[in-house]
Amino acid sequence: MKKEPRYKSGLISSLNPFGYNVERWSYALHRVTGVVLIGYLMAHIFETFELSMGNTAWTSTMNALHSLGPLELVGLWIVAGSALYHGANGIRLILNEMFGKLMGRPILPVYPYSPTSLGRNQRIAVWTITGVVLVLWVWAGLYLLTGLGVV
Amino acid sequence: MKESWSMILTYACAMILVFVLTFHFLLQGPLAGKPFEGTGGVLAFSYAAGNLVNFEVVFGLLLYAAILHGLNGVRVIALEWFHPQKKAWLLNLIIVVLMAFFLALGSYTLLAVG
Repeated sequence: MKKEPRYKSGLISSLNPFGYNVERWSYALHRVTGVVLIGYLMAHIFETFELSMGNTAWTSTMNALHSLGPLELVGLWIVAGSALYHGANGIRLILNEMFGKLMGRPILPVYPYSPTSLGRNQRIAVWTITGVVLVLWVWAGLYLLTGLGVV
Repeated sequence: MKESWSMILTYACAMILVFVLTFHFLLQGPLAGKPFEGTGGVLAFSYAAGNLVNFEVVFGLLLYAAILHGLNGVRVIALEWFHPQKKAWLLNLIIVVLMAFFLALGSYTLLAVG
């Protein structure tokens, strides 16, 4: 059976935000950060499982991870950034989709079309989230890369 | 399960995760003082196991909310690959098996350490 054309580009196109507005960028970033987080979560469950195997197994796993050096910290920094963005943007999405907040009133579609979902409140929310997440991500980087427990 | 119910479950888990994950971050970092001191930079067994014992319910909630939310999210993304949609049952089955596996592994860890 011949596939319908709209399925050809599939997932890759859904992740391409270039040429679209900030809502599409936040949509793509939400997906990418979500995939990063579920990958980390699965690894983290395996890692935490070592606790049930006793002190020796746990310490050996921790030492193996620690031997990665800066790679481990950079990885954690990426996970921290993903969690911050996914969480903050997720709160906005819950306000939008569950409670109908920050959205414009529906209007008749008149050319040139402009999405009412991307009104003033929504733009403020998107850029506030971006700013707050960037600040916290920089802080997380300093916290991780300058030595845990220091900042 | 209807798609609308799976999305409500996803949103409910997301709201739980916002609070529980913030607590988890704080516990591993700023609230902890210096959990890596004197251990050569690795997280000490006593500290990690102690957290699981002291906050077993919180970590249980975190495990279930994160797995249900995360794997349902993967299902939603992967559904775009499934064409025709008749085959979506296979994806749903894979996701349910993965959920059961990771929930069992995490629950075992919590019970064994706790």
